[in-house]
Amino acid sequence: MNAKLIHCLVLALIIAGCFACLPPAVQARLPYHSYTYDYWGDVVYSPAAYLPNRIITGEDLGIGDLRTPTDIFIGKDGKIYILDAGNGRIVVTNDRWELVRVIDGFENNGVPDGFNNPSGIFVTEEGHIYVADTDNNRLVELDPAGNFLREIGPPESDIIQESFIYQPTKLVVDRAGRIYVVARHMNQGLIELTPDGLFRSYMGATRVAWNPVDYFWKMIATREQRERMALFVPTEYNNLCIDEEGFIYVTTSALNEWDIQRAIGARSEDDRYAPVRRLNLMGDDILRRRGYFPPVGDILIARKGSVRGPSMLVDVAVDDEFRIYSVLDRRRGRIFTYDSEGNLLYIFGAIGERFGNFRNPVAFDYLGDNILVLDYEAGTVTEFAVTAYGRLIREAVRLHFIGKYNEAAACWEEVLLQNANFEMAYVGIGRALLRQEKYEEALKNFKLGNHRKYYSRAFYYHRREVIGRNFGLIVGVLVAFVLALYVIGRVREKGRKSAYGEYQSEVEEI
Amino acid sequence: MKYLDSLKFSLYAIFHPFKGFWDLKHEKRGSISAALTFLVLLIVTYILRRQYTGFIFNENDPKELNVFIEIISVLLPFFLWTTANWAITTLMEGEGSYRDIVIATAYALVPLILINLPLIPFSRIINMEEGAFYFFFTSVSVLWSGVLILAGLSVTHQYTMGKSVFTSLLSVVGMGLMIFIGLLVFSLLQQMISFVYTIYREIAFRL
Repeated sequence: MNAKLIHCLVLALIIAGCFACLPPAVQARLPYHSYTYDYWGDVVYSPAAYLPNRIITGEDLGIGDLRTPTDIFIGKDGKIYILDAGNGRIVVTNDRWELVRVIDGFENNGVPDGFNNPSGIFVTEEGHIYVADTDNNRLVELDPAGNFLREIGPPESDIIQESFIYQPTKLVVDRAGRIYVVARHMNQGLIELTPDGLFRSYMGATRVAWNPVDYFWKMIATREQRERMALFVPTEYNNLCIDEEGFIYVTTSALNEWDIQRAIGARSEDDRYAPVRRLNLMGDDILRRRGYFPPVGDILIARKGSVRGPSMLVDVAVDDEFRIYSVLDRRRGRIFTYDSEGNLLYIFGAIGERFGNFRNPVAFDYLGDNILVLDYEAGTVTEFAVTAYGRLIREAVRLHFIGKYNEAAACWEEVLLQNANFEMAYVGIGRALLRQEKYEEALKNFKLGNHRKYYSRAFYYHRREVIGRNFGLIVGVLVAFVLALYVIGRVREKGRKSAYGEYQSEVEEI
Repeated sequence: MKYLDSLKFSLYAIFHPFKGFWDLKHEKRGSISAALTFLVLLIVTYILRRQYTGFIFNENDPKELNVFIEIISVLLPFFLWTTANWAITTLMEGEGSYRDIVIATAYALVPLILINLPLIPFSRIINMEEGAFYFFFTSVSVLWSGVLILAGLSVTHQYTMGKSVFTSLLSVVGMGLMIFIGLLVFSLLQQMISFVYTIYREIAFRL
């Protein structure tokens, strides 16, 4: 009896030991859904492309909590600049999150000066720091050590209204030193300043979307009613960033919900209802929208519930090496990533309280492969690391962009092992096969990827091949067909004639 | 053999609408069984078209193919149209009976079958650039049938062309009215059922 008990105990211990040795089988669950949309506009769940890695607070950096930080910028050298607006300071760290410097004030011509609710930061390649000092109505330029260089006050020009209160919120500086500013309550586009800080022009205002129904109502409305209606005005931009080629990506969240819905329904490539644009120096939109849907964030838009309406895009970041860009939806805390053609690659992120969720994300940027997201309310930066799945997609897109189609196809094959529902992967493989003149296999992949245009192109060559291979057979069948028709005709005629002959002979007999 | 003859007569009617529809009614060349056959064929055509049109031209989500919806989407407009047209033309001195209207409309739909059926294999051997032909022929089929319906109406009811266009427009309005009333009845019924059910539950809880 006793021995039995001991046996049992020993067995229990061994079993417990086994479990203790095993690694924890169930990993912490993903704090958000990772998904894409397919050709039909349905949600397709996918493996996560990015996972939350760590959360950085001001305490971690040893400088006290961040208060209502408004912008984050990552320099070419990997330095991270956080604009800690509530504390009126700039926090600079290196890419390993070691504090480099805190800029909380500067000497402006011998007078101590500081920021008042700044909301945008940009750092040039030389390390010069530009800050949009919103409530001081100015831009401030600092040298890399944080010393004051100059301030740029409200732009002066005849075309700016007297009553306009200049509140710059975001800015970028291009290689030539021209400054592009987004200002609050300004719908003429971006303000372009010369390197000396003088007003040059407005740039990139949206084309006004003209709606015949609204126009009709305006025609029959009284003047009082007209004044109360919304005006046909271009939409206001809320953020911008500049890529390596000097093109400026801008976002807006002021578009009408129905316009966005219509653009999705029509798979529109029109820039008028586009919440993200890519502007050239003339201010024209040159963003490619060749995906199955225009890049507007979520395609399925909730109309009910506490969180409804289209994605509210508030920031855009470009990953120059991979030629892809991401936009941040503040409403639902999601980051959407597109390639240079406008194909949706992956979506991740959510509002919530779990590790890796946001409360109020306002800005983000790329740090190498990682993505850093700044949370305004929590005063934290969340670092997301790319997963093996995400890395494969990025690599495939990069290889495709530089023209290594076969290598890209190999990457897509690996992506498919992890997510067999990813249409873009099939299209990528199909394009490589098309180049290798394997039309039949290309057709199969384009069909799986739902890409009708490429399917049609592959079909053209495939058809030519089939006809060429079976030319003799086709001609033979045609000739046989014509002959058969001829013979049948002759037989019928003969039949009719002989019937006639019989009739004749009958008549003669009588 | 009358059934086969009446089927065959559709080929004459679609090329010679005025004489054809006249004979259809007055010479009794058409038959209800042939008309219903055309309806069934039209349903089959639409189902085949959804399922077997070449990938390039097939914008239908295969996940959402529902044969019943395909059937309803042919039958419902057809009977709404014939009923509305009959109701309107009876008031407007039209000479056609309901039977005549059903036959004339069904015969007028024959080009939809004759053109769309061969278009299905055709769509599988052309590419996107040659799609112009495809879309041309689909438009032709719709226009042809539309013209035939008008011609058929004016012959069946002894209308001038202007009057048959006018009654057709009225019939479309009538179709809308019928749908509206149908929905109204449904929603009222729903309300009534839920009302009675609530009373029943209330009483059941109290007893």
